[in-house]
Amino acid sequence: MADLSGWWDDYLWGAMTVLKVFGVSLILTVIFGLIGATAKLSKSRIAQKIAAAYTVAFRGTPELLVLLIFYFGSAITLTGITHIFFPETPFVDIPPFWAGSFAISLIVGSYATETFRGAFLGVDPGVVEASRALGISNVHTFFYVRIPQMWRLALPSFGNHMLSMMKDTALISIIGLEEILFVAEMATAVTYKPFLMYMIVALIYLSITTVITLVMMGLEKHANRHLEVAP
Amino acid sequence: MNFEFYLILESIPKMLAGLGMTMQLLFLSSFFGLSLAILLLLMRISGRWFLCFPAFMYIYFFRGTPILVQIFVIYHGLPQFEFIRESIFWSILREPFGCAVLALSLNSGAYVSEILRGGYLGVEKGLHEAGMALGLSKHHRFFYVTTPIAVRLAIPAYSNDFISMIKATSLASTITLLEMTGVARTIVAETFAPYEIFIAAAIIYLVIAWFFQRAFGLFERHMSRYIKQ
Repeated sequence: MADLSGWWDDYLWGAMTVLKVFGVSLILTVIFGLIGATAKLSKSRIAQKIAAAYTVAFRGTPELLVLLIFYFGSAITLTGITHIFFPETPFVDIPPFWAGSFAISLIVGSYATETFRGAFLGVDPGVVEASRALGISNVHTFFYVRIPQMWRLALPSFGNHMLSMMKDTALISIIGLEEILFVAEMATAVTYKPFLMYMIVALIYLSITTVITLVMMGLEKHANRHLEVAP
Repeated sequence: MNFEFYLILESIPKMLAGLGMTMQLLFLSSFFGLSLAILLLLMRISGRWFLCFPAFMYIYFFRGTPILVQIFVIYHGLPQFEFIRESIFWSILREPFGCAVLALSLNSGAYVSEILRGGYLGVEKGLHEAGMALGLSKHHRFFYVTTPIAVRLAIPAYSNDFISMIKATSLASTITLLEMTGVARTIVAETFAPYEIFIAAAIIYLVIAWFFQRAFGLFERHMSRYIKQ
């Protein structure tokens, strides 16, 4: 344990970065998932086709590959565009944090699309008709009637998506984000204790995923509280 | 900065050279993973706490940590110990290929064991009781009643896991293995055309995933052929 003494704060910083990526990706994933599910359920053929292509492409491609395409692809594109205006600039890239968060949320969003679609289908159509009969606008129906009811059905699988999203954040170290895997690499170079250093990373991830699991259990219980039988 | 289609066509044959490595990783680790999963399942359903608890902890650890971290612990971490460098396993663990297969197998063992358990728990209790009433022995009940139904129930989830195994093999490129993603990364380093090369690799992965999805679909149909539609 003495080997670890100087590294606690670095691991803490790394863990904060991981949690930041997780927070940003979580918000973006919900947005992508809702857009995807709405597109899949819409009457427009084109929207359906685009959403179908999106889910097939992002669920079948390795996460690492998506990340590499985003990071290096965006760097090439941005450099190309800036060269038109400022020919001297050597190289422009999106910060790994944003490229990584964006790529991860697009991947998990493709899974969430399917989950949300199923959950929207699970909402009783009578409820939607009732709100229409009451003269509630489409937008209000979506946010105040359909989403609160669909959320309860989507929670169990969405919890699993959150876990896989948490674990995907480890990949961002490959495109150069300074998170806990990066800290472990640095610490190894100094202490020559690779097993210990990488094991700490594993334990940090394990504790975060445990917390997520517990929170999801609580949320599910909260969402289903009206279904509980009174004692 | 223009998108060059001929680069995709040119790079696909080169990447197919890495396909062999990807397939080796996939088949070896899913075979070992499945064997490990069956062992873990038997431990968990044995009902003895000294077998249940280690299996539970194993599954908890391997499902709760990223597979990339597991690969790094095995590849970078294990050589720290003297006794591992002197053991007979060193010839396997010295090579990145052995480490990748080990990490992927250990990981998929944990996931698949949960899938098999889901299938096992999904088997109707009445069938078990019927077997008992017919005087089948405990082993006969397990092999001829529970297992065939549990396998059928587990196939859809297992096929999903197999697809994610295909995707997980790409992580082996991080420990210097030249499987498909590794080959793609070297080509990108030479040509600096990330869109074309990586998208070509993605297309190959999609085709493989589609192929296995179909294969599992056919297998599932075969296993449920006696069920009335």
